[in-house]
Amino acid sequence: MVSITSANPLALDDEARRAERRASSRRKKRIINLKGWAFLAPTFVFVGIFCYWPAVRALEGAFTTWDGVSAPKWVGLHNFDQLLHDTVFLQSFLHLLWWSLFGIPVGMGASLLVALLIYRLDSKRAQYWFRVAFSLTLCLPGIVGILTWSNFYEIGGVIDALLSDVGLGRFGTAWLANPHTALGALIFMGFPFVGAFAMLVFYAGLQSIPGEILDAAAVDGVSSMRRVWHVELPLIKGQLKVILILSIIAITQNLLPPLLLTQGGPANETYVPVLYMYENAFQYAQMGYALSIAFVLFVASLVLALLTMRYLRTDAETRKKVA
Amino acid sequence: MTNRRSSSLRVRIPHYVALTVIGALSLFPMYFMAITGLKNGIQLEENPFSLAINHPFGIFYRQAWDYVDGDLLRTVLITAASVAGITVLGMLSAYAFARIEFLGTGLLFYLIFGLLLIPSFLTLIPLFLEVRSMGLVDNPLALILPYIAGGQAFAVFVFRSNIQGIPEELFEAARIDGASHLRMLLHIATPLSRPIMIAVGLLNVTSIWGDYVFPSLVLPVSRQTAAMAVGNFQPPPSVPDINVVNLQFAAYTIVSVPIILLFIFFIRYFIAGLATGAVKM
Repeated sequence: MVSITSANPLALDDEARRAERRASSRRKKRIINLKGWAFLAPTFVFVGIFCYWPAVRALEGAFTTWDGVSAPKWVGLHNFDQLLHDTVFLQSFLHLLWWSLFGIPVGMGASLLVALLIYRLDSKRAQYWFRVAFSLTLCLPGIVGILTWSNFYEIGGVIDALLSDVGLGRFGTAWLANPHTALGALIFMGFPFVGAFAMLVFYAGLQSIPGEILDAAAVDGVSSMRRVWHVELPLIKGQLKVILILSIIAITQNLLPPLLLTQGGPANETYVPVLYMYENAFQYAQMGYALSIAFVLFVASLVLALLTMRYLRTDAETRKKVA
Repeated sequence: MTNRRSSSLRVRIPHYVALTVIGALSLFPMYFMAITGLKNGIQLEENPFSLAINHPFGIFYRQAWDYVDGDLLRTVLITAASVAGITVLGMLSAYAFARIEFLGTGLLFYLIFGLLLIPSFLTLIPLFLEVRSMGLVDNPLALILPYIAGGQAFAVFVFRSNIQGIPEELFEAARIDGASHLRMLLHIATPLSRPIMIAVGLLNVTSIWGDYVFPSLVLPVSRQTAAMAVGNFQPPPSVPDINVVNLQFAAYTIVSVPIILLFIFFIRYFIAGLATGAVKM
């Protein structure tokens, strides 16, 4: 195409220069991309091999029968059909439901309560030392905490001793071996349920509330309870959301207490889905069936987490949406 | 101001009482564990709460030490290697997400963040089979490599928001001096992320140190971790039945002590790191 500008040698020069600049900026962009990807490469190699690949294998394995040694055999929805008629599985899901309905609100509530109490202290020094004290609870390795609690629950253990101290000794029992108390005992483990990590995250959120907002509330004479409900909680929604999502995931994968202490017994009263999955995989070599349990549990926890993200919208996100 | 101060003092006393009671209850298992290892079986049955300890003082700790010492060293190495890997790879990625505007930033970040929603039970079985087919069973790498991968999501998520909070001027000044991204990561982002790195590191230490299920699948008892040793505890035949519980709790305490020391040493950073408010959505 013959253009008018081509008649002018200076303009041609200009055009060439502009093209060159475009090319060099494209080159620069490509270098920036390569740099960014280079920084990410190690992470993606690791999560690709040890997180994503196993996750994909798990999801497709749910539709097979598989002993873990020979090749998996595709069976479509057969496993899920079997799950629907598996009373142990259905029961285990119900147990998880009770566990979550108690554990998540109580655990988050206790952590929030402690965070608020510490936040309200007048001395920075006292605030610091209480945070240190609660952080120390993290030092007890998970398995040690569980085994310690199992000792508390033994006949004549700490729980029974406490009961007989207040004159209720006749209610003492082998808490983890009694079908009426075993699930409750597992759920009650970890009393008073303060999670140090959650508490510190909540505290950090409270700490970052601007002083003017609290002063305005004080001038308006807002009562302490109303201040918590209408000022502080809405302003730490971002923290509540993260902890809620992490709690949902943590409680669905809470395998260790029933695995170590009850193995699902007595009378199947303490089965949770993740334990049933574990037993199917590693005791009965039914990998496909185990993975279909994992599949159902994963979808359930994912839906709950996504609902949390959707409906607990933080102010920053709302603003972004409006803008 | 003085008015507010004096009125607050009145209401704060219940706060102190409540916090002290809840704190004591939370720390009770630790107290119980340490003290039970120092008692003998008869004392334990008389009163599980008492501080009374006497002969044979410390003997259970010595026996328990013989039982776990080799496993303890192995666990220290596995934990240290895993946490180092999590931190280095996590910082590299977090820096890129926070400071480099490359193609696919959003999508790739969600690919990492989304891992937080993949629970460990989902990957447990295929991961075990994968590690086995890689020939890593019986090898500490069977734990270290998956731990590094598993720690990425949370580390990248938290480190990124921390780096985003570093004032732009610091990076601007370095860029004018011609600093590369790697230099800026090493000399600006890393020193200013130390508290959050320590906080995330300690959280990873506690979860790796106390992990039982995956290690018990891939490591033999002869090369077990400290958590496995505690979970599979078999009292030596020389210990009379009545004292087995004490020996167990002495072992629990020994296994917990390294973590306790680490926390005491780093608690200042841990508290400061989680106080930055990097953990939110």
